[in-house]
Amino acid sequence: MSPAAALESEIFRFYAATILGLLVLAGLVLLIVRWRARAAADHAWRAYLGWLVIVPAVLGAIFLGRLATIALLTLVALAGFKEFARATGLYRDWLMTSVVYAGIVAIGIVCAVDDPTLLTPGWYGLFVALPAFVIAAILMVPIVRNRATGQLQLMALAIVGFVYIGWMFGHLTFLVNARNAYGYLLFLVFAVALNDVAAFTFGRLFGRRPLRSSISPHKTWEGACGALAVSMVLPWALWFSLPDFTPRELILTGLIVGIGGQLGDLSISVIKRDIGIKDTGALLRGHGGILDRIDSLIYTAPLFFHMAGYFHDMQ
Amino acid sequence: MDAWEYSPAEDLDLSLVERLRRFPREPDMFVYGVRVACAALMRLWLRLYHRLGVHGLEHLPPRGPYVIVANHASHLDAACIVSALRLSMVHRVFPAAAQDYFFVNLPRLALAAVAINALPFNRELNVRQSISLCRHLLDNEAAGNVLILFPEGSRSTNGVVGPFKPGVGLLVAGTDLPVVPCHVHGAGAAWPKGRWWPRPGRVSLHLGPPRTYAHLPRGRANCEAIAGDLRQAVVALGATAANADVADGQGETA
Repeated sequence: MSPAAALESEIFRFYAATILGLLVLAGLVLLIVRWRARAAADHAWRAYLGWLVIVPAVLGAIFLGRLATIALLTLVALAGFKEFARATGLYRDWLMTSVVYAGIVAIGIVCAVDDPTLLTPGWYGLFVALPAFVIAAILMVPIVRNRATGQLQLMALAIVGFVYIGWMFGHLTFLVNARNAYGYLLFLVFAVALNDVAAFTFGRLFGRRPLRSSISPHKTWEGACGALAVSMVLPWALWFSLPDFTPRELILTGLIVGIGGQLGDLSISVIKRDIGIKDTGALLRGHGGILDRIDSLIYTAPLFFHMAGYFHDMQ
Repeated sequence: MDAWEYSPAEDLDLSLVERLRRFPREPDMFVYGVRVACAALMRLWLRLYHRLGVHGLEHLPPRGPYVIVANHASHLDAACIVSALRLSMVHRVFPAAAQDYFFVNLPRLALAAVAINALPFNRELNVRQSISLCRHLLDNEAAGNVLILFPEGSRSTNGVVGPFKPGVGLLVAGTDLPVVPCHVHGAGAAWPKGRWWPRPGRVSLHLGPPRTYAHLPRGRANCEAIAGDLRQAVVALGATAANADVADGQGETA
């Protein structure tokens, strides 16, 4: 991955053009809607302003290359964990939080360095083994402090924080090392975002039956099914960006994005509902926090990664 | 099994700027990191550019809570006092800063809330509320916070220590909180009000023995008496500072 390779890659050019085109189109539509009915489109407009930041940042990082992408995604994971720590109260324990921050930075480093024996980019063996080391460090914190009261909750929160936000999301980062990095990364990010938008749109238009009433009152079966339908079709439409995939893998990809996207959304809702908060943060106006934005990616990235890795030699 | 008790950050749904504006601020590791870096740079700057000298450190109580009361002639004052204390205390030292000046726009807010760890003091409308904010900070024995107050309320422009406002008396009357008088010498000449950038003048800091006012119950007359007493102590330190300066100057010319 490099600026020259990005410009040469048909896949990058296609996705960049499509995503930027959609952004401009959505902006025009929203401007018209806003002009006709100001208040109704206010929320959508703020969400759109958020996209105006996210899209250039992600496309820009992927364009710049492997290290820029790793840096951006690591920063996103750090910010996501920070939100998680602030929401759960874990942030008051600076040592526990520092261990997880260090673990997330380690994920980024492991994605960036070469495998010492195979000499391929990205140290895959350590990447997969890292949770064992980070969890070992987390378990050490109460021992070093000689303290037991309340420590199980802190350790559990730190482990969930690292495995869920650091490591599971880290699979997206590790995709930069795939031979078809542009295709995998851009397809996944685009498909998951589209799945979210589809769920929202179908839910708004046809939503009647609540999907999980005690977790997220606004999500509906109609929205989820509509999103699944879109996500099942999308891999076929974008087959050229996953050139080594067979129909079997396209179906699996559709299922992972279509179902995993919803589950990721719901799993953040479970956490938020249990804590009793509405948004995980206020970093992206109109999107809630970073975690509210990347929840579906956290869930789908490792599933997609290991599915692709099972059927294909990624490097 | 009982449900876990979470304690989300109180400022969870606020943006970064709004978070910096509120007080007390929630702990934030990134802010702490930036603050330590700023404090280290500030120390280096003051030592090299202003040849900061600190006298009477032995008068400081071994640990907080306590109050440092100083004259105010320059933006350098708070930086000098913070730099005189141990670097490890940087998150527990709170210089009171004018809310209407420092907590208005982003650059000043970043400087005050991140670099200096300032407490927003509303000197115009809500002095009592600000005083109770200070008291809340100092009531926490375990935290051992240190409050830096400039009871003149504004930077003096003529080199004379102005009258002290009685609010400082309200804070310490009838308590055994140690109050350390402090005179910052030379800061007003190095970076006076209205100048863009400091001149490389020598700055020195003189600390006096701590005082307590447990014997004076809260009341208007007592508050004013305490303010007067503290001003006198600061002015006296200023006189010794000026003498030391003269002696220093003679030493240099000789």
